[in-house]
Amino acid sequence: MISGYPLYLLGRLGQFALVVFIGINIAFIVTHATPIDPVEQSIAAATQFGSTSPEAIALMRQSLKELYGLEGGLAEQYASFWRRVAVGDFGPSLSAFPTPVSVLIGRALPWTVSLLVVSTLLTWALGNLLGGLAGYYAKNRTLRLAGLLAMAFHPIPYYIVAFLLLIVFGYLWPVLPISGGYKMNMARDWSWEFIGSLLIHGILPVCSLALVGLGGWFMGMRSLVSNIVTEDYVTYAELGGVKRGRILGSYVMRNALVPQITGLAMSLGAIFNGAIITEQVFGYPGVGTLLVSAVHVGDYSLVLGITTVSIVAVSLAVLLIDLLYPLLDPRVKAR
Amino acid sequence: MSAPVLEVSGLRAYYRTSAFGTRREVRAVDDVDLRIEAGEIYGLAGESSCGKTTLIKTIANAIQPPLEVLAGSVVFNFRDQRIDMHGASREELRDIRWKRLSYIMQGSMNVLNPVRRVRHAFVDFAFRHIGRSKAEFLDIVRAHLRRLHLEPDVLDAYPHQLSGGMRQRVTIALATVCRPEFIIADEPTTALDVVVQKGVLAMIHSVQREMGSSVIFVTHDMAVHANLTDRLGIMYGGRLVEEGRTADVFRRPRHPYTAHLIASLPRLGDAAPKEGLTGAPPNLADPPPGCRFHPRCPLASDICRREVPPMTERAPGHRAACFHSDQVSPP
Repeated sequence: MISGYPLYLLGRLGQFALVVFIGINIAFIVTHATPIDPVEQSIAAATQFGSTSPEAIALMRQSLKELYGLEGGLAEQYASFWRRVAVGDFGPSLSAFPTPVSVLIGRALPWTVSLLVVSTLLTWALGNLLGGLAGYYAKNRTLRLAGLLAMAFHPIPYYIVAFLLLIVFGYLWPVLPISGGYKMNMARDWSWEFIGSLLIHGILPVCSLALVGLGGWFMGMRSLVSNIVTEDYVTYAELGGVKRGRILGSYVMRNALVPQITGLAMSLGAIFNGAIITEQVFGYPGVGTLLVSAVHVGDYSLVLGITTVSIVAVSLAVLLIDLLYPLLDPRVKAR
Repeated sequence: MSAPVLEVSGLRAYYRTSAFGTRREVRAVDDVDLRIEAGEIYGLAGESSCGKTTLIKTIANAIQPPLEVLAGSVVFNFRDQRIDMHGASREELRDIRWKRLSYIMQGSMNVLNPVRRVRHAFVDFAFRHIGRSKAEFLDIVRAHLRRLHLEPDVLDAYPHQLSGGMRQRVTIALATVCRPEFIIADEPTTALDVVVQKGVLAMIHSVQREMGSSVIFVTHDMAVHANLTDRLGIMYGGRLVEEGRTADVFRRPRHPYTAHLIASLPRLGDAAPKEGLTGAPPNLADPPPGCRFHPRCPLASDICRREVPPMTERAPGHRAACFHSDQVSPP
């Protein structure tokens, strides 16, 4: 008989598989229910200039269907879709035919992941640190001001912040590049110049995400901390003459971070969706941009590929945090 | 005679708030004087919201706004150090905390940090006072736990892995590991069932005898006072209304409120139904004039409604604040 942690692990893995399966099915249904037909899109593109005879169009339609793997009923398509997903192959992209979907995603993913990992970690660390301090030193004026700013910025939709940044740093005081991931036509040779260009192009997108995200973590942490400082164990430590720094670190922050770490894992998992609007605004060559264009042209395979990667990533992040949770909070035991 | 270890004089601590221009003042501790001698267990009794907890918070200088100390002083005379709790610096206070003055709190469920092992609490609270290496320090802690009949293994447990009674014992061990001269015990047995309560009380008593510490023991449970404390102070509506040797207070209460508290205890062979006190505890934001007990007092007369009765000695070492002290019927 298995019991304890192995059993918990097994159950949790089963749950993970189920979530991924259901998620991918929903993605399949949604993409196939869109009114955009990729075959018609391609034909429209091909026949845009000059007229083509109806027979030629019918022939083109037939061969495109074959190429795209869209012949047969929905059930057949569904079966072949799962056969391919099982081996990690999402087939060729329909809009950038015949480049495989995995190559397109692989090209865009590093951009998105680095952009979002940097902005998410930065925002999380800074927001929690400041929020924790603001909750603990509730009377400090500077921290109160920070609280007001966080509250003012937080409700602003991040695309508005993004546009504001564009206007300020691209037009009024044009010091930062406003579009692209690196200087156009630059050799991607990992020279210092190229790396510098990457960093400079990252500043505005990271800032637009961070300015807004910061407020959320800040306010969340501040309210967690202001609850925890009234807990008996904090009062008791104060009566015990424990150093303030130690109380703040090991008693207050340590307890407040438990839920915040779950939040971090969730947002790290969501990275694979891309920050769709930010990437659009700043013309960033990431997954978000890719996904939007795929939806526009009805590229089933690409949409499904991106969605599947993101479903697996989010579920994996949640799984990981569940497995690590007993280490963070000893009260949560693996049953 | 040596100076009392704790001297509280004329202490006034109010909760002062002001919201939307309305000022509110809750007189939780009003003009309290008390002295505790070295080596004695002083009991503090009274119903909920009578100011017991505020009084000991003020004694410990664990006050936070809106609680303010308006007048009076709290002075500890430790063996080689005299400290005014409200005049001392943060550092001076940190220095005596746990070494000379420690606490056992109610709700032992939550006084230990839930995400860290018990060992860390001992290190955080006591390590700086003992001044040895980490290993030697932990040996001292283990020896102390054994002396209190606790397994040293508890050091490696998380608080949630211990039962409520166990946690309270660990807290007592934590509070006594530095052999403090003064222990403040705030309802340490209130959340426990009677069997565990008995064990915990015995533990406090034996530790106190062994170390010669003084204890201020707060509980509303008169039976506990009868069994444990040397002297007893009764609080009502933010004031101390009676104080004396525990045996004297029980034998011959000098304040009608005390008489009621004692009469409410069950006795062997007494089948008469217990009478409750009518009315509610006074609203300390707007206390009644004169004696705060007069609206509920069977002996109340005109003077009680006009003047605050002073705390005066009625018998040797037995003080009470009542104009009709002689008429209080013994139980």
